[in-house]
Amino acid sequence: MTRADTRPPDVVARRASTRGRLPGDGVAGYLFLSPWILGIVVLTLGPMLTSLYLSFTDYDLFGSPRWIGLDNYERMFSDTRWVNSLKVTALYVVLAVPVKLAAALAVAVLLDNRRGGQGFYRAAFYGPSLIGGSVSIAIVWKVVFSDDSVVDRLLRSVGVDTGGWAGNPDFSVPMLVLLAVWQLGAPMVIFLAGLKQVPRDLYEAAEVDGASRWRRFRSITLPMISPVVFFNLVLEVINAFQVFTSAYVVGGPNGQPAGSTLFYTVYLFDRGFGDYRMGYASAMAWMLLLGVGLVTVFLFRTARGWVHYSGDAR
Amino acid sequence: MGATRHFGRVAAVALVLAAALAGCGDDGASGPVTLRYSWWGNAERAELMQKAIDLFQSKNPDIKVTPSFQEFEAYWQKMATETAGGNAPDVLQMDFAYLREYADRGALYDLSEQESNLELGDLLEGLEGAGEVDGSRYGVPVGANTWGYVYNPALFAQAGVAAPRVGWSWDDYRAALRQITERTGVHGGGNYIGSYYNLELQLRQEGGLLYTEDGRLGFDRDRLAKFFQEGVDLAEAGSVLPVEKGVQIKPSFALELDLIAGDLGWDNFTARYAAKAKARLELGPVPGGDERASGQYLKPAMMLSLSRRTEHPEAAAELVSFMVNDPEVGKVFGANRGLPPTNAQRAAAQLEGPLAAVAAYEDAEKARFGPTPPAPPKGAGSLEQAFIRIAEELLYERIGVDEAVDQFFTEADETLGS
Amino acid sequence: MRRQRVHGVVWHAGVLLLLGIVLYPVAWVVASTFKPSADILGDLRLLPDAATTANYERVFDGVVGIDVARFFLNSTVLAVLSVIGTVASSAPAAYAFARLRFRGRTSLFAVMIATLLLPVHVLIIPQYVVFQRLDLIDTYAPLLVGKFLAAEAFFVFLIVQFIRTLPRELDEAAKIDGAGQWGTFWHVVLPLCRPALITTAIFTFIWSWNDFFGPLIYLSTPDKYPLPLALQLFIDETTGSDFGALMAMSVLALVPVVLFFLFFQRFLVEGVSTSGIKG
Repeated sequence: MTRADTRPPDVVARRASTRGRLPGDGVAGYLFLSPWILGIVVLTLGPMLTSLYLSFTDYDLFGSPRWIGLDNYERMFSDTRWVNSLKVTALYVVLAVPVKLAAALAVAVLLDNRRGGQGFYRAAFYGPSLIGGSVSIAIVWKVVFSDDSVVDRLLRSVGVDTGGWAGNPDFSVPMLVLLAVWQLGAPMVIFLAGLKQVPRDLYEAAEVDGASRWRRFRSITLPMISPVVFFNLVLEVINAFQVFTSAYVVGGPNGQPAGSTLFYTVYLFDRGFGDYRMGYASAMAWMLLLGVGLVTVFLFRTARGWVHYSGDAR
Repeated sequence: MGATRHFGRVAAVALVLAAALAGCGDDGASGPVTLRYSWWGNAERAELMQKAIDLFQSKNPDIKVTPSFQEFEAYWQKMATETAGGNAPDVLQMDFAYLREYADRGALYDLSEQESNLELGDLLEGLEGAGEVDGSRYGVPVGANTWGYVYNPALFAQAGVAAPRVGWSWDDYRAALRQITERTGVHGGGNYIGSYYNLELQLRQEGGLLYTEDGRLGFDRDRLAKFFQEGVDLAEAGSVLPVEKGVQIKPSFALELDLIAGDLGWDNFTARYAAKAKARLELGPVPGGDERASGQYLKPAMMLSLSRRTEHPEAAAELVSFMVNDPEVGKVFGANRGLPPTNAQRAAAQLEGPLAAVAAYEDAEKARFGPTPPAPPKGAGSLEQAFIRIAEELLYERIGVDEAVDQFFTEADETLGS
Repeated sequence: MRRQRVHGVVWHAGVLLLLGIVLYPVAWVVASTFKPSADILGDLRLLPDAATTANYERVFDGVVGIDVARFFLNSTVLAVLSVIGTVASSAPAAYAFARLRFRGRTSLFAVMIATLLLPVHVLIIPQYVVFQRLDLIDTYAPLLVGKFLAAEAFFVFLIVQFIRTLPRELDEAAKIDGAGQWGTFWHVVLPLCRPALITTAIFTFIWSWNDFFGPLIYLSTPDKYPLPLALQLFIDETTGSDFGALMAMSVLALVPVVLFFLFFQRFLVEGVSTSGIKG
């Protein structure tokens, strides 16, 4: 009699269901994950937990952290600049993500065919993403949208005088949204990769059945690329909440003009490295994590309604 | 055969080990000392620094200097991280506004313990006390400047406005701003409430200080409201560059883009303005004050400090002393770090053009300089930023004067009070 | 036939127009590098009044005796190693999350997503201390170790999504043929998610190439600086900014990235045709 036979039947059944259809998934799983686990523990989890601890302290970088409990978190809610940074960031996310994704998908679909010049066009549209994250392009962008520059002159020629987007608190965030949308090359490339994986025979069959272009797009393309759309959506949302370089270059630590570009991470950075208030900055970071985490969980939950994985039969 | 080969192998291993051990060298005092030296600046300053370092190393063959440099903002982000991690460089360039930030947190070495290695007797009058905090010395000035007035004489003449002269009042200044704007079409100047150094100038002319000895604000709400109101009035009258414009041209300055007729600012920036501006610029007396006192002071534009954790304080102090005193170094840098801090270096530096003008300016005005104030309190850096931010929101009409004053004092209480 | 031709021409024209608008800022940056430094910021036209190569000459002069080529080499070393490390460690991790069932998989996946959510600025000091204790400051190790340990959740997630689009029948076919987990991974799944791997490689290269904050914090010796650190030496507020040289160096810095992208993006095309899944 083997040991297995002496175990009560429900335990045996439970064991069988937690194992994959193939034996030894547990060991294999952890083996494949081992570099990641090592990295997480040493490089990420440790610092993450440290920053969580710091969020409950008053830490001015050079001395020792001093425990103050929930003080930082309480202070945040009555901090007008914090509230402002939330508004600025939320506005940006709500504007930038849908526009950027829609534009990226549109361009990807535009390029997803067998016409010539594919490589060139793809690389060309991707160009802005290559330099978009850099300081120099942020400076250029600010100049292009400044008083008396191209955009200003164009608008004035049709009677709209904004005084320069970069100096106008109502237009500074849209200016940065455009900078984000301009870098549509990155999600576009991912969309293209996803589009390429859609089996062509599905399209052929639909065409034979007389489906219009739009119908084909809606019923075949979108569902088939939904995992990729979901990926892009989640990542763009997470990135949008964390935008830093362009905001910092354009707005500086004060979020000029008049605090209209005081993004959450910029304010966080200024509190930590400018005011030497690392405890408060850590608390801000964990609030961000909480907020974005909730948004992400929400996205994952709603994903079940529209994301279709052809590889997950069960 | 076997034994010989065996012996040969052992000998080879032994030789390698011996070589390795010898390569380790002594870590006793007889070995060369390596100092890490960090500063901020651009590539041009880095070249000059390297020359100065080479000079130092040739005169001190047992000290090796490893340089590191970044631009100003990145420098402080890195310095904060390194210091927090316990890895600050031996010698670091220090800014007057950050001195207490670092000193009060125990990050800097008390240089009064290195008096034998640090020669400070030749410092310019007015700079001797710079770098002292509560009786200890945490920094040594390597460059000096002062808050001054830079202007375009041609525009003044064109507007028929008298050129800046000793004792011209703030009312005169504001009138000039208005008249130049009206008569020449070029804005008379920038809105001076954007910087609290202008408030400091006014306060000193009234006999007060920006920050008191014990690290509190040297002015009250009413005084600040008066200052802010001046700026609001100027903006309404249209005599100064509009705030939207000022924001959009950063990081350039309005003066170097020929957008204004003159502005208050650090005198050594004249070189920068002159390099870019098309107009010919001159330095003149600041508004306010009288023949005896202008409210200005010689400020240590740049200092050198040692990290508290340095393992070689003697060698580090020697490096600092060299940078401050050696005439060759003065010649190498000219006015790149601000004007040279010691008489010997000032004599050796061959200044030309705008920088010579700056030196001449300081010499001419120094009789009217007041004593250098104590180092600003911990948190002064953030307060300066807060001031700029609040003034900007005021000028954008997002908030009124009273609210601006409230906001600043709230920030100050939080920053200085803690 | 002619209608198709007209369609084709219209399509190309439309795309090119769109591209023209999109690429104007890039063209402006390139054009600016041929203008004298002082003229750059005010002038939005494409063609310079007086074309000059002075900006490029200043860049090639190097910084404090360090040749520009050195900065390029440093950036290349970091970028190539980052790509190798990231692809090599992210793919197996993604396979585990996407295909293998093991206890704690959902929680670990959640942890992985969570690592995307904290801004680097609050993690940097504890991470710095870790590397300082290991005496690895002023080396490339802090910048590369994470890459070899699949620390970039972005890519693990990307590859997970791709693997999940692959039908399981392929895995099962491999198992029936006797392949173990590794065999299935190596011979079946990995080749099929090539677009995801290529995308990972491209993005890793670019991110590493543009990374500023990490190198700033961990590197002190100037001749170890990668390009972004070298670039910021041209924009010091206190000593005067040299926009011409900054733009010139930025343009030069772009060249390898563009080349890398152009070379690898071909493989995105080949992608996954449905070979092997028919029927």
